[in-house]
Amino acid sequence: MRSTFMGLEASKRGLFTQQSALYTTGHNISNANTAGYSRQRVNMQPTLGFPGTGLNAPITPGFIGTGVEAGSVQRIRDSFVDRQYRQESNKLGYWESRSQAISQMEDVLNEPSDYGLAKSLDELWKSLQDLSVNPENGGARAVVVQRGIAVADSFNYMNKSITEIQDNTSKEIGISLNNVNSILEQIGDLNRQITAIEPNGYMPNDLYDARDNLLDELGTFFPIETSNVLSGGNALKVAEGSVTVSLKLKDGTLLKVVDGKDFAQLRVTATDREADNVTPNSMVEGLHLVSVDDAGIETFLNNDWTTAGAAVSQNINSFSDLGKLKSLVNSFGYSSDGTPAGTEKGLFPDMIAKLNLMAKSFAEEFNALHANGTDMNGAQGGTFFINKTQTPENATDIDAGNIYIATAIIDNSNLIAASDSAPDPLNPEEGNGKQALTLANMKFNSLVALENVSVQTYFQGVIGKLGVDGQQASRLMFNTVTLQQAVSERRASISSVSLDEEMTNMITFQQAYNASARMITVVDETLDKIINGMGRVGN
Amino acid sequence: MRVTQSMLSNNMLRNVSNSYNKMGSLQDQITTGKKVNRPSDDPVVAMKGIGYRAQLGKVEQFQRNLGEVNNWLDSSDDALDKVGSAMQRVNELLVQASNDTATTDDRKKIEVEISQIRTHIQNVANTKVGDKHIFSGTKTTKPLHDGTNYIDPSDPSYPSLNKDVEIEIFDGVNMKVNTNAIDVFKDIDDMLAAISTDMTTGTASGQDYSTYLTSISDRMNEILTTRADIGARQNRVELMDNRLQSQEVIATKQMSENEDIDYEKVITQMITQESVHRAALSVGARIIQPSLVDFIR
Repeated sequence: MRSTFMGLEASKRGLFTQQSALYTTGHNISNANTAGYSRQRVNMQPTLGFPGTGLNAPITPGFIGTGVEAGSVQRIRDSFVDRQYRQESNKLGYWESRSQAISQMEDVLNEPSDYGLAKSLDELWKSLQDLSVNPENGGARAVVVQRGIAVADSFNYMNKSITEIQDNTSKEIGISLNNVNSILEQIGDLNRQITAIEPNGYMPNDLYDARDNLLDELGTFFPIETSNVLSGGNALKVAEGSVTVSLKLKDGTLLKVVDGKDFAQLRVTATDREADNVTPNSMVEGLHLVSVDDAGIETFLNNDWTTAGAAVSQNINSFSDLGKLKSLVNSFGYSSDGTPAGTEKGLFPDMIAKLNLMAKSFAEEFNALHANGTDMNGAQGGTFFINKTQTPENATDIDAGNIYIATAIIDNSNLIAASDSAPDPLNPEEGNGKQALTLANMKFNSLVALENVSVQTYFQGVIGKLGVDGQQASRLMFNTVTLQQAVSERRASISSVSLDEEMTNMITFQQAYNASARMITVVDETLDKIINGMGRVGN
Repeated sequence: MRVTQSMLSNNMLRNVSNSYNKMGSLQDQITTGKKVNRPSDDPVVAMKGIGYRAQLGKVEQFQRNLGEVNNWLDSSDDALDKVGSAMQRVNELLVQASNDTATTDDRKKIEVEISQIRTHIQNVANTKVGDKHIFSGTKTTKPLHDGTNYIDPSDPSYPSLNKDVEIEIFDGVNMKVNTNAIDVFKDIDDMLAAISTDMTTGTASGQDYSTYLTSISDRMNEILTTRADIGARQNRVELMDNRLQSQEVIATKQMSENEDIDYEKVITQMITQESVHRAALSVGARIIQPSLVDFIR
């Protein structure tokens, strides 16, 4: 036999459940513009019918429904799309950062323009031509000195600027790693909160969203692999559990960075690094994991945290070319074999090496030809380009950073060896400008050190390669942006709030609520009949 | 596919920003007049641009060098022309002197003029263009005649007197611009000195002076040969000048074709892009569509 008040109870459940659904609709509408919010849905389910099973169960003609309950409040999200999104965002992170690095170098090299190195070399050539025409003219000589200084300045400027950009990149690596480490800590913290809530039968949807946002952000730095560990206790079937995050290497090896509430911190491996252990001052050899205790003491961890204590540095070359972090390292400079003995490679070091080689070969060839000539006083030509860091100044180890003109020549431009006559201090050939011509046309000589091309052609090659790299980076960046947008669109299509839909739901839930209320009135009236209208026969 | 309000607004924003990007790059092109502003815009154009700039710079420099060449050749020619006129006068004077009716006194008067002409030719030998003595080989700071004597070309301390001064007028094409005329000047000077001596001593006969006429004509021939050589070089310079002028046009054209924009084309693209941008913006006014909210009480 069923209870007299069962109808009231069933309708009350209807009221409560529709109300929860309405409140959830309100939550969705409020968060319609919240970044990373996924819409939520109340999963309604009928409560168990009457009577229940058992020996004492009453016999009734049917299994009567007892109403509805809110089984769970679930967020609508597709973890497969999340995965795709993160894959695209680590590509985007890589190409975006690379394209930025290249465009900074393009700004420094400033070609094609009327102010770059190529122009200053052209100007030097012109001034030497003028000198060959007017070798006895002090003005022509002074111009050669100034144009020579301009060439040296161009080299110095490019070297200095690229070194500065490289420096900033090392800071950016440090900041990125700090950012990553903070994200790892936050994910660990969220895991702790989530695993504390879930066993009670709740769905911490908004914590899931926060965690997914952090994972999205982490995905721009390097490729990640996630797996979920479900909570025990009274956790719901749809609960997501704590997430284990790993950094994925080129060969598929996983570097565990978050496991439950525990998290590792990333440190950079380099011969010389700042005290914060994340900012490299020399080429990057790799990355390694540590755990930091409350006192700030760092303990080394291996890939899966099974053995602690020994430093396990992951060779930088085993990281795939994905994510902002690797891109920054590739720009900044890394060891070719991941050891301190390796050679330094990378966008900036390569460019500096090329400029150094150019400056050195140019200066050495120029000096050799200059020494073959005779100056205005009939003396053998001296050194023209010098290394300004040496005392006394000399021509050893000239590079783009230290190339300059010999002080003696700056002070006295008559020392420029413009003549090709034999040295004869008594009878200098002031009107002989043939060596100046040879010096001018040295620009077109192919130099063995520069792979048998001339300085100008070599520089053209450098610019060309930079341009091709830059073009590739910006094209791939554009491609990945498009792909990421497509994935993002799909994700929005699944998870974002549609106001029309919420309105429709609101009407649905409101009507159901109203109907439940009406139902209670009906039950009330029937009870009223029984209570107040019955047993009063004859009154 | 489910489409939500936020998707509409995000898409609209993205499209407007893309359209702005395109407008930005077109505006860059129009304001700079260049197709590429950084190597990654078009690496090949950037690379070639460096080469074409150097090429154009070269042509301009060679044209400047040609100016100097003309200066040298014109000055040398002019100087030798003056020597020629002076010799003409000497010739006339000698014709007078060779008359047997001319007295010793007459010849002494003639001698005065001849010795003036001799000094004049010595001065011409020291012709200076700017700060260079043009007849002194590569020893341009040294005058040929030091006031009393010509420098002896066989003197080993002046090995550079007969050297060529060369100026590059095209890739690997060097032009000799000076004229090694020391021998011509010396011969003339020796001859005029002999004539002067004969006239002051007064011993020579009209017949003797007549023989000088032959050597004058020989000297004038030498001058003409030298001038012919200069003239031939001037012709070559003219040819080279024409060549450089057409080279300049070609180099400028190549550079321009390589990196300059086609204004008509880019402005048309710009106008098209502007209307696309306007359309994109007008979409912005439409992303706030009436929702169900507007229709329910």
